[in-house]
Amino acid sequence: MLKGKVSLDVTRLDNFEYDMSKCIKCKGCTWVDHIYMPGVTFSTRCPSATRYLFDSHGAYGKMRIGIAMLEGRMDYSDKLLEILYACTLCGACDVGCKRNLDLEIELSLEALRIKAVKDGKGPMPQHKKVAQNISKEHNRFGSPHQNRGKWLPDNIKPAQKADVLYFVGCSASYKNPEIAQATAKILNAAGTPFMLLADEWCCGNMLYSVGMVDEARELARRNIEAVRKTGAKTLLLSCAEGYRMWKVDYPKLLNIATADLGFRVVHLVELVDELIKKGTLKFTKTVNLRLTYHDSCSLSRLSEPWTPWSGERGEWGMVSPSLERRRGTNGVYQPPRDILKSIPGVELVEMIRMKENAFCCGAGRGTQEAFPDFASWAAGERLKEVKAIGAEAIVATCPWCKDNFAKTAKENGQKLKVFDIAEIILAAI
Amino acid sequence: MAISKEAYKGLEAIVGKEYISADPAVCEGYRAGPGGYECGLGYERVMTKIPACVIMPRTTEEVQKIVKTCNKYKVPYVPYSTGWYGPRSHCHVDDELIIDLKRMNDFEIDEKHLYAVVGPGIIYSQLQEEAMNRGMYIIIGGGGAQCSAIANMIGDGWSPLSYRIGLPHRRILGTELVLPDGELVKMGSLATGDDPFWGDGLGPDLRGLLRGFTGHRGFLGIVTRMAIKLLPFQPERLEPAGISPHTTLMLPEKRVKWINFTMPSKDAMREAMFEMAKAEIGGGVTKVPIFWRAIARANSKEEFWELWSKENEETISSFHLLRVLLIAFTSEEQMEYEEQVLNEIIAELGGEARRTRPSDESWFKNADSAGMWLMCGGYVSVDYVIETIEHAIPHGENYAKLKRNYTPPLMPDYGDPGWFQSFELGHQGYSEFLVYWDPDVNSDGVDQFYLETSKENIRKRFYTSLLGPHQPLYLTGPAYGPNYHEWLLKIKNEFDPLFICHPPVPLAHDEFVKRAEWMKPMKDWESPI
Repeated sequence: MLKGKVSLDVTRLDNFEYDMSKCIKCKGCTWVDHIYMPGVTFSTRCPSATRYLFDSHGAYGKMRIGIAMLEGRMDYSDKLLEILYACTLCGACDVGCKRNLDLEIELSLEALRIKAVKDGKGPMPQHKKVAQNISKEHNRFGSPHQNRGKWLPDNIKPAQKADVLYFVGCSASYKNPEIAQATAKILNAAGTPFMLLADEWCCGNMLYSVGMVDEARELARRNIEAVRKTGAKTLLLSCAEGYRMWKVDYPKLLNIATADLGFRVVHLVELVDELIKKGTLKFTKTVNLRLTYHDSCSLSRLSEPWTPWSGERGEWGMVSPSLERRRGTNGVYQPPRDILKSIPGVELVEMIRMKENAFCCGAGRGTQEAFPDFASWAAGERLKEVKAIGAEAIVATCPWCKDNFAKTAKENGQKLKVFDIAEIILAAI
Repeated sequence: MAISKEAYKGLEAIVGKEYISADPAVCEGYRAGPGGYECGLGYERVMTKIPACVIMPRTTEEVQKIVKTCNKYKVPYVPYSTGWYGPRSHCHVDDELIIDLKRMNDFEIDEKHLYAVVGPGIIYSQLQEEAMNRGMYIIIGGGGAQCSAIANMIGDGWSPLSYRIGLPHRRILGTELVLPDGELVKMGSLATGDDPFWGDGLGPDLRGLLRGFTGHRGFLGIVTRMAIKLLPFQPERLEPAGISPHTTLMLPEKRVKWINFTMPSKDAMREAMFEMAKAEIGGGVTKVPIFWRAIARANSKEEFWELWSKENEETISSFHLLRVLLIAFTSEEQMEYEEQVLNEIIAELGGEARRTRPSDESWFKNADSAGMWLMCGGYVSVDYVIETIEHAIPHGENYAKLKRNYTPPLMPDYGDPGWFQSFELGHQGYSEFLVYWDPDVNSDGVDQFYLETSKENIRKRFYTSLLGPHQPLYLTGPAYGPNYHEWLLKIKNEFDPLFICHPPVPLAHDEFVKRAEWMKPMKDWESPI
């Protein structure tokens, strides 16, 4: 809608007609914030525009395509689907645009995928397979559902009743048990009782990310209800993608505010940071590592809480009632850094692109499944940066990032240690 | 695919399959509008097309081959570095090829001789960071940090910092230009060797042909490589700080400092510019449109309007804000000296220093042009004058008066006379008039105002820089020539006999007036179009 009633409902692309039609091709979505521009290398933050080069793969191209789709001027094709899906939805474009303007780029991109699914053209075949896995076994890998709790070591006993509920997620349950185990041990060490869901299902991150909103909404309802039944006050995640899904996309799907979930959604780094600052958790062991920290997109620039909004757009494009735009300013940037800096022996060296300017690892939002070469390429670009700063290890806050970095480093023959932050924290306790 | 199969195959053979596409989804991404500089206006709607094909060369040789292939198969083409410059840098005719130059991002820097050699894919903020890391700097033009350095150097390329280091003409050194027929011209010292260190070469200086005051927007060929003069800077680092959207460069105050002064009148502002120039102090000085302050203070579009709607004719006409930049190039003592001299000048003129943040968001590395779209969604600068300060000030005042007739659809600015500043230590004065509108209402009046400014310049004898491709050539040419248009077309014809490079520029605005019904009543000049 250019004028009149409008909302942030991503299931209707026309809600973002104004945003798509006001893209000015400044390419702030692609470049690192010019204030932080590091020079001729590592100068972009959009993986898809950097990899595929044609303007259509940048947000400026996709906004124009979106307008063409709204106006019925664009037919679906393999190339169009590639443009829509060979994108990490990492939010770099959104914060870049919102440095200067009030345009909802990330939501427009999500709405484009949702429209593609509604029109029966999306998602990509690989995504449909993942959706089948989730439907059948309640996890994205298609592994037997009964194996979900296998990560839990015998010596850790979750509480039957506790304020903190740890939502483990598919990755840490099946593929990265070291993350779940480290998280549980950290909670034990901190004297923080935690419980698990009796029957945990996939969070549906992939479903939402590729535009399958109906399936994602169903999972959101089911999962939120399951958590509410436990009476948990805090939902803890060790996966950045899951964190974003619970904190931002569930409320978005259900048209409620994050604050209305009925429980607080926190990532492990937020909890640990609080525990350290309260003195409840102390680092006693030395971890001799020159390491760098990778800002996982879903914990950083994509993680600001959601508030539903609907209203009117009028003169000069102003909206009423007032809309507090999510610009990525209040993402979780500092807690993981504070944690790492407080570990004896750790030398934290920052990457050239950091915080809201970070370059996505390339794994998330359906990219790795449908465009594995692109995902590896993106991780490879990030690992070049790691090499340039001379770090011996990279630390992430998301199993998706960890796996993609580890896999790509191995493929490229790069000698690099790859950790989830839970592992580093545990090593220091 | 709308270009012939033979032409496509010929082009594909030059760059490889990965770097050429005629897919509709790819081509749609190269549409000029609906948003962007000058977009949403009639010119964009009437005169632009999506390309039939996009190609991305890597080298000058590939560009030459592409252009020769276009000549062979009569495929019209337009060079495109970032696509920032609105409709005038996009396709204007059916079945056209965009030559996207972003892969041409080679970069070399010669610290000893203070220049960098760049391809069209290099943008200003990249160049500035590389320069500053080595104790040098360049002007990031008002077009913004995201501009291709080459495109901006041959098009515009000024900012408040032009007060000290001048307009870009003088900083274009050895340059490679692929002419519209594919022939390569090497300019400056590149004409006689491989070292691009110097701008002058044998024979006539072609830099005037390359850009004039504001460039030809791609209709006289493609610059594929340019050596750009860098200037020595002070040694302290300008430190980035903050998280988006509140990012800024923290200034080392003993070396770099912005000071805002409230002046009692416009005359006092002008005098301050002259006196600073006489004293040879300052790194920049400018009077910016007052609503820019509201943009800088607002966290959103709605906040901007809340702030701006508190202003009126009286508050605007009585508020005179002069921004002065001091750069201590040689020593901290230079800062002390210049600040003292500046304060004396301002005190004598009745001005007063205001608290100014020790930071820069707008001119050193960022040039925040994207913020111009915050408040309305539509923006274009309808004119630039590069003449004298005495000339620049009435230019803005006249435009402000004229603008009242077109407000709305133009944004109310309560008579603000726009942007003026001193260039080249007072030897030149600059006026730029920026207009804003809501693109989602009828904007015919903006198109008409744009053209009316051209007539106003002729009536009032203002020396506009927006000749050639920006206004009807048959209106401006006879007035400024008397045969400027004839010469320009002769040059075009000589270099581009097939009229294949970015047609119908430089006659595109003539063509627009002819095609747009709402412009026809304004046509009162002789023209074969």
